[in-house]
Amino acid sequence: MTMPLLKVDSLTKLFPVQRGLFRKPIEFVHAVDGISFEIGSGQSLGLVGESGCGKSTTGRMLTRLMDATSGQILLADNGNPVDVAHITRDGMRTFRRRVQMIFQDPYESMNPRRTIFDTVAEPLTVQGIGTVTEREEKVADLLRLVGLSPPETFLFRYPHELSGGQRQRIAIARALVINPSFVVADEPTSMLDVSIRISIMDLMLKLGDEFDVSYLYITHDLAVARYMCDRIAVMYLGKIVELAESEELLSNPLHPYTKALLSAVPVPDPSFKRAPVEIKGGIGKAINPPPLCRFIERCPIATDVCHNNDHPPLEDKGGGHYVACYLV
Amino acid sequence: MTSNGKPLLEVDGLVMRYQTKRGQVSAIEDVTFTLHHGESLGLVGESGCGKTSVAMSLMGLAADNARYMSGEIRLEGENLLALNEDEMRRRRWKSISMVFQGAMNSWNPVYRVGDQIREAMDLHIQPKLSEAAAKSRMARLFEMVGLNPSMLVRFPHEFSGGMRQRAVIAMALSCDPKLIIADEPTTALDVIVQDQILKELKKIQDQLGMALIYISHDIAVIAEVTDTIGVMYAGKLVEYGSTLEVFHRPRHPYAYLLLSSTPSITGPRRKLAPLEGEPPNLLDPPPGCRFHPRCPFVTDQCRTEDPPFVDIAPGHKVACWNWQQVPVTIGASA
Repeated sequence: MTMPLLKVDSLTKLFPVQRGLFRKPIEFVHAVDGISFEIGSGQSLGLVGESGCGKSTTGRMLTRLMDATSGQILLADNGNPVDVAHITRDGMRTFRRRVQMIFQDPYESMNPRRTIFDTVAEPLTVQGIGTVTEREEKVADLLRLVGLSPPETFLFRYPHELSGGQRQRIAIARALVINPSFVVADEPTSMLDVSIRISIMDLMLKLGDEFDVSYLYITHDLAVARYMCDRIAVMYLGKIVELAESEELLSNPLHPYTKALLSAVPVPDPSFKRAPVEIKGGIGKAINPPPLCRFIERCPIATDVCHNNDHPPLEDKGGGHYVACYLV
Repeated sequence: MTSNGKPLLEVDGLVMRYQTKRGQVSAIEDVTFTLHHGESLGLVGESGCGKTSVAMSLMGLAADNARYMSGEIRLEGENLLALNEDEMRRRRWKSISMVFQGAMNSWNPVYRVGDQIREAMDLHIQPKLSEAAAKSRMARLFEMVGLNPSMLVRFPHEFSGGMRQRAVIAMALSCDPKLIIADEPTTALDVIVQDQILKELKKIQDQLGMALIYISHDIAVIAEVTDTIGVMYAGKLVEYGSTLEVFHRPRHPYAYLLLSSTPSITGPRRKLAPLEGEPPNLLDPPPGCRFHPRCPFVTDQCRTEDPPFVDIAPGHKVACWNWQQVPVTIGASA
């Protein structure tokens, strides 16, 4: 079997909760707790869940903005797996050339004192790619590609002169300027207005195809994940509870949490009647959680099996539809 | 829904501008709508389209640099814009109350939630309720919004986001208002909590028979909560009608494109039609129809003449010269 572009195995991140006189960490928030998945070349995976489920933490670990507590992230480099956790300082430069990130807030993710040219050319400068003229050409090309043309009118402006949608286009240009093979996009459109959102999403899809980029698309919005991604993984308190092809997940949800999440999404059609949502309350925090199924407290169908066993493993129920539930 | 009898609220030709150093921002431009007792109206539009400015004007809480150029806001026949601050204060909360977006910011962190609701009741309910009556009323309000009355003695930081928003709704209900304005009350919440709050809000509105103005950028939420919908663009109301009618047969190009560009988890996976361009700068709005620079149905008339807001069917109004050109089915490429 060939190596997929990205292979994540039992990835875990624990945050210490410091209490007491000597600030000794006695408890841990299990932000991400042993998740495994793969993303093939040119594929996109949507990571969906409520706030606090660990989806952004996962994204930050994949881009090495944060180190994992345990587990393995393997990134294929010409078919050879590279262990992301043990990349050396030199290797980091190559890694950054291959993995980029697009952040949620286009107002916070750019240096206000650098021009658009400096912002977009930064990865090229850091990587030492090309001469100044070549960089200028490359940046101008990218700006044209992301729909900011003529590029000359944008190159020497500052972020504050641009709208939110234009800034997010710059963020996309910056992420793609060094031809990465994998991009983590953390809620890139959630701060944008509806009328601008679709054009940014379409742009990411188009450029993803053109540059053969794989995306990990982090969002709380299932409708957006459906539009953007080949497959969707649903997270709940640090665990992936279900993972399947997007249409399969939406039309045939198996995990009780996925079912609840789907029936809670408002539908833009006043004559559509949603199924009642079976679960109540909000999401908690997984501070030293018991080894039981994470969803057990809110689960409408939990039985003795769930109360007497560990968190269920994520198993293929046929055709690549993975679910972590004993009762499916 | 009781639409007979006198209307509760009439907004009539309202024009409001913000006075700034760089000029006048045309925030509300000739907005007209009517709301009857017990009705629910959804105002939808992008940020900066004027929906919150309309809400703040109804509450008499618009920023100091707001200037009302013309028009009236009549609540049961009385023009609110003609009232002074003192008279307005007496009507606020009692006649019209509001649920704001950021639930945390609606509370004073150093007072107990119950005491803050009590303060609103003491100020607005005449004659003042006795200690026991106030307590039982607050307990009833908390139960109504799905909170345990024992939470009344807690401080705001002890509430989760969803609970805080429920408590804000309880406070908004505390003086028996005839109209509640909810401005993006669930935008900061997760979908499951949002679903519960929306259900609660609808149930209470039915039970108490008050009118509701629900403001959101999320057209799917509006579809679920309201009977009537008003679509705003760049300070103007561009389409107004029954929610069913507007969703199934939008006649304004902006409403049509907004619906065509909303992703959904139901129905066939379809290509969404992007809306090109960005909303105009309201310091210098475009001449003619304000939507014309982004409109796929634009004609020369649109560039110079502002379309009137006219009835195209009973209860269905549109401000567009070419509404007949707008496709009937959502999702067809424009």
